[in-house]
Amino acid sequence: MNRFKEILFVLLLVFFLQSCAGWAKNKDYHPFDASGLDKLIPGKSTAAQVIEILGAPSEIVKLSNGNAYIYRRSLSKGTGLWLLIVSFGNYDKHYDQIVIFVNKKNVMTHYGVTLDAYKAAYGLPF
Amino acid sequence: MASPFKVFSFVIYPFIVGSLITGCVSYRVIKAVEGRSVSNIFEEFQVGTTTLREALEVLGAPDQVAELEGKDVLIYRRLLLVNSGLSFGIPLTDIWGPSFDFSAYGELVRYDLLFLSFTPDGMLSGIASEKGSRYPYLKTIFSDKKGN
Repeated sequence: MNRFKEILFVLLLVFFLQSCAGWAKNKDYHPFDASGLDKLIPGKSTAAQVIEILGAPSEIVKLSNGNAYIYRRSLSKGTGLWLLIVSFGNYDKHYDQIVIFVNKKNVMTHYGVTLDAYKAAYGLPF
Repeated sequence: MASPFKVFSFVIYPFIVGSLITGCVSYRVIKAVEGRSVSNIFEEFQVGTTTLREALEVLGAPDQVAELEGKDVLIYRRLLLVNSGLSFGIPLTDIWGPSFDFSAYGELVRYDLLFLSFTPDGMLSGIASEKGSRYPYLKTIFSDKKGN
């Protein structure tokens, strides 16, 4: 029994002496302030006001009845764990996105908001 | 008190055993998730009734916006990547030259997608969705069906 414990101890020691872990965080930063949306009123606010409040968009897409101004930033977190013969990696990426729909008269008609970047988390792949 | 030789053996053996085992057998799993989960909105949204405003309120900002044949398309997407690899080998290349080695690697990227199209006046005109994440990893990666 003692011999078994010794072998088990050696194996566990091997496992931990040969292991390492790592963490990583990446940010694709765009400094728009989503609280500025409170100042924008669909049907009234203009494209110029949108840009004044939110800043330059990350992307502009032409639509059938105007344009969509897209504001986007992301946060990703990665975790790595190496245990002798097995290794695990996990990568989680989430976005903050605002899409403003502007009609041909340059008036904002709709907007959609997703603020999920904070949900990016460190972890293991199971 | 434990003999220093016994303590020494408990430290040095793990290093030797670990160094020999490392590289002989290895297994890795990597998972990557990008974006939020895509809702199943088939019961909630109706073609000809649901408006762009309602869709944006429920789903938030889309991941992609485009114009397609006079209609505005919103795409919501979530990516799920799983990569795994198993390797057996004898790491004696430096002293022996080429030696036995067997490796198997696989990577599967699945997408959860929701496609909504709207008329220029903002009325829902089409819905399509695909939940790629429901397909099991091993069964999907080993499938040889055409188109898979």
